[in-house]
Order: sequence, then structure tokens, then C-alpha cells
Amino acid sequence: MRTRTVLAAAAVTLALPLLLPERHLPVYVLLLLAATVTAGVSLLMGYAGQVSLGQAAFYAIGAYAAGLSAVHGVPTLIGLLVAPVVAALAAVVVGAPLLRLRGHHLAFATLAVHLILLSLLGQGTWAGGAIGLQGIPPLSLAGTPLRDDVGYAYVAWAVLAVVLLISHNVVDSRAGRGLRAAAGSEIAAAAGGVPVGGYRLVVFALSAAFAGLAGGVYAFYLGYLGPGSFPLLLSIEVVVMAVVGGLGTITGPVVGAAVITLLVQALNELGTRPGMPSYAPAALSYAVYALLLIAVVRYLPRGIVPAVAVLRKGTS
Amino acid sequence: MSDLLGYLLTGLGIGAGFALVGSGMVVIHRVTRVVNLAQGAFAVLAAMLTSALLATGLPHGLAEGAGVLVAAGAGVLTGIVAIGRPGTEPGAALIITLGLGVLAYAVEVTVWGDQPRSYAGLPGAVTLGGARIQAHYLLVIAVTLPVFAALMAFFRGTDPGKALTACAENPYAARVVGIDVRRMGLLAFGLGGALGGLAGVLLTPVQQVTFDSDVTLIVNGFAAAVLGGLTRPGVALAGGLLLGVAQTLIAGYGGGAHQLEIALLVMLAVMVAQAVRAGSVREVAR
Repeated sequence: MRTRTVLAAAAVTLALPLLLPERHLPVYVLLLLAATVTAGVSLLMGYAGQVSLGQAAFYAIGAYAAGLSAVHGVPTLIGLLVAPVVAALAAVVVGAPLLRLRGHHLAFATLAVHLILLSLLGQGTWAGGAIGLQGIPPLSLAGTPLRDDVGYAYVAWAVLAVVLLISHNVVDSRAGRGLRAAAGSEIAAAAGGVPVGGYRLVVFALSAAFAGLAGGVYAFYLGYLGPGSFPLLLSIEVVVMAVVGGLGTITGPVVGAAVITLLVQALNELGTRPGMPSYAPAALSYAVYALLLIAVVRYLPRGIVPAVAVLRKGTS
Repeated sequence: MSDLLGYLLTGLGIGAGFALVGSGMVVIHRVTRVVNLAQGAFAVLAAMLTSALLATGLPHGLAEGAGVLVAAGAGVLTGIVAIGRPGTEPGAALIITLGLGVLAYAVEVTVWGDQPRSYAGLPGAVTLGGARIQAHYLLVIAVTLPVFAALMAFFRGTDPGKALTACAENPYAARVVGIDVRRMGLLAFGLGGALGGLAGVLLTPVQQVTFDSDVTLIVNGFAAAVLGGLTRPGVALAGGLLLGVAQTLIAGYGGGAHQLEIALLVMLAVMVAQAVRAGSVREVAR
């Protein structure tokens, strides 16, 4: 049953890029990239019990790593593979001191990391400064550059599939069980022989690698990066997606990203209709993030996916 | 020399604003254990409202007072949503306040637009020991210090203040002696809202405000508050003043526009140092 559901979902999502009208493809690509980043946040918050308000910083690091290496003549596929590695290394460097922090301290620390990174990117001439990095070539697979949205839709699909597979395996591994124990009680887990600090750092780096990989795809897809592409709100957005979908589940990030992205997109179309004030799209999307987040934390504290699972168990 | 004095006073003025935001977070945190991510939104809300009221011709004083009152009300509402449901954990409440902070964006952009706003504060400049500084900075300091004195007196000398401290020290014991801990939590949120609102109202004439100014305010406020472990308003005052002075000195002596980064690095260093210290203490206690 489970395998069949997964296969059906894979078939439908694989067929979608061919069936969707051209103008909806960017939404598809960005949705899958958001789900990829969210998968890392969900792993971090759900299994390791760490709140990150700076996950988009690693998305930015991956994007800039891929973009900069491609601009300097490195083959784009290698650039894409470099992106998660650089993001993970950055996470290890930042995480070694910061993961001593817990709860709201860690939340503020990760937020600080994001803000510091934005300022570094805005001032670094090597990164194009405030103007940004332009002229990133398209991703080349086997010598053919990907120029249309359909190609990127499949790249994003593959990236998300890899990330979900890794998440699934991590969760079911010895390290995954240790982390779940540590999220419950760190002292008890440590007493039981779980190397809590090491595992926390590994998950932090892994979640950063997910974000970095998504960032790499983003860089090649858009061909342009600037500090403004990675606002603080992006970090908050992925937290909203993770919480709404359901922390600590494999499908939660996909559901959360889909619900939020589609809702924001629908409201965006409503907000940009003639006659609507210019602030309408922004105000509507803020309201969606805020109200969904508050409603889910208050009334569905475990998120949509676990809630639906409970409902189905109840009816069958 | 006169430059130095000027920077010091300007820094104290800015720092007083950070201290107000930070002490609001402290007041809320010590009673409810919730770190309120909507704290900066109270300041922005009050500032925007005051600016709009002043534009309709309401005199200074009344407009600012209305801004602070509305911020206090927003604080109570935040409290109701964040901790109103019995058994809400501080971690979940933190995420709820994050949501409320983003909701404030939607409200502010809808009502007042996304352009920066400001209004005239205390006009003129004062020459002190050869340094010319805007008179408004002195006003900020002159308002903040008595407010902190009143806050201390409130916690030490009045029944609701003592009840708040009791909840902070031991919620269980407070409940046993008949204090309604949840109600005290809402009172703390209201007080925190008023302090945040006061910061916004006072700082706006010297630092214009946009709907997302709350990030700067909350980061500086948290950095000030975290020095005292988020439980001591007095330390938040010292921390805020120190941060303000350090930022203006560095900006003044050629550091450019790196004020926020300084606050961030100070905050990170303090938190990590505290965690290292607490870690070793905990090992001993085990």
C-alpha cells in the first residue's frame, strides 16, 4: 500500500511538467526547491529538536557557490555538486560553536547567521555586491544546456527525490533513532551512549546540504543571484512550510511546501488583478504565512500529514 | 573629545530604545518563559500609528500615548493567542509569536503602506561640552531612565509587580498562594507591548521606521536582554546602553554601517559564552 502510494505520487509528479501550461512551470520548480529546503528544516526541527530561523542562508550559500564556480568557468554539473558541499562545510563551521545553544537561543543565533551572510554578500565585490551575480550559465547535462523550464522541473524533481530518500534512510538509521531520543531528553540519550553533539552537527550539516543543493539548482535556473533573492522572510517561510506540513515526517515538507506555495500563488494572482492596490500581493502572502502558522501550531500542533494519518486510521 | 561626547550621548539615546525593546522581552520571558518574536512589531505598530495620528493633527504627547496604549493592547492580544491555550509549550508559543510578527507585516502594509515613515521629534540641537547633538536623543534618555526606575519600583513595591515576580520565580508556588499565573502572563505581555511601543514611538524621529524595522529592533533588543539571561530588566538596560554606545562609536570612528552586524556578533559571543559556562556547571551538578 505504502509503496504503491509513493509510486503513484512519483508518476503524477513526473507527468505534471508535461501537462502543466508553460506559465505554471516556474511555480512547479520553485515549489519542489522549497520542499527540498523544507525537508532539511523538518529533519532539523522534527528529529533533532533544533529551531533554525536561518535555513535560507545555506540556500544562499549553495546558490552562490554554484553561481560563482560557473561564472569562473567550472563545468556547471560540478558547480551543482559543489553547492551542497560548500553549504555543509559552512554549516559545520557555524554549527560547531552555535549548536551548543538550544531553543530560542539557537533560533536567534541562526537568524543572526542569515543577517550576517546577507551583509557579507551585499558588501563583497567578489559576490557581485548589492547588484548581484549576473550571467550564470544554464546547467549543462551531457553537453546540452538546459534552457527551458521543463528541464529544470525534472532536475528539481530528481533533487527532491534524492533528498527525501536520504531523509528516509537517516530517520530509519541508528543515528536517526539516537537523534529522536536526544530530542526527547538529551541527558537520557547521552547516558544511553548516543553521541548527541556529533549527531546534532551532522544533521545540521545535512540539512544545510539539502538547502545548498536546492540553491544550486535555483542559481542555474534563474541565472541571476542577489542578496535580495534571499530575504529573512525566506527562512521564516521554510519554517512555516515545515510546521504546517508536519515536523519529523518524510512527506510533511512536500505537503507543507505545496500548500503554502499554491495558496500564496493563488492569492498572488488575486492580488495582482486590476483594481487591487499595489500592496495587496505582499500583504496577502504575509497574512497566509502568519495565519496558517498560528492556526497549525494552535490546533494541529503536529502538522497536516500526521493529522491526516490519524484521521485515516480513525475511519478505516 | 567633543566628538566622543556627541557619540556617547547619541549612542545612549539609541541604546535606550534597544533597552526598552529588550526589557519588554525580559518582562514577558521571565513570567511566561516565552521569547516573544513579535516584540519588534509592537514598536513598529506604535510608531506607524503615532505617525498617522500626528498627520491628522493630534498633538504630540497624545499621539505617542495612543501609540503606546495600542501597543500594550497588541501585547495582550499576542499573549492571548500565544499562551491562551493551557499547556502551550514555550517553544510552540515562540513559533506563534513569529507568526504574529509576520501578521503584523500584513496589517501594517495594508493600513500604512510599505514606505518608510517618520515624524518630527523634539526640535533643535543642544551643545553640551562642545558637542552638538539632536535634542531628541536627550529626550529618549530622559524618558527611558524614569521608565526603568518605575519598572523596578513596580516589581518591588506593588502587589501586581510582586505577583509577576512570584510567577517568574516559581509558577507552581505562585498558583498555590492564589495567583492566577495565566492572567499574570497576559499582564506581562501587555507590559512588554507597552515597553516595545514606547521604544518605537521614541526612536522613530531619529530612525525612520518601515514595516520590517522590527528585525533590527528585535535583534538589538534580544542582544541587550540576553546579557542578563533574559530575566533581569536592569541588565537589559545596561546591555542596551552599552550596545547603543558601541555601535555609534564604531560607526563614528570609521566603522561604516556595520551597527547591526556588531550587535549580532556580540549576541552570538555572549550566548555561546553563557552556554559554555552553563554546560560546565550542569556537568558538575549531575
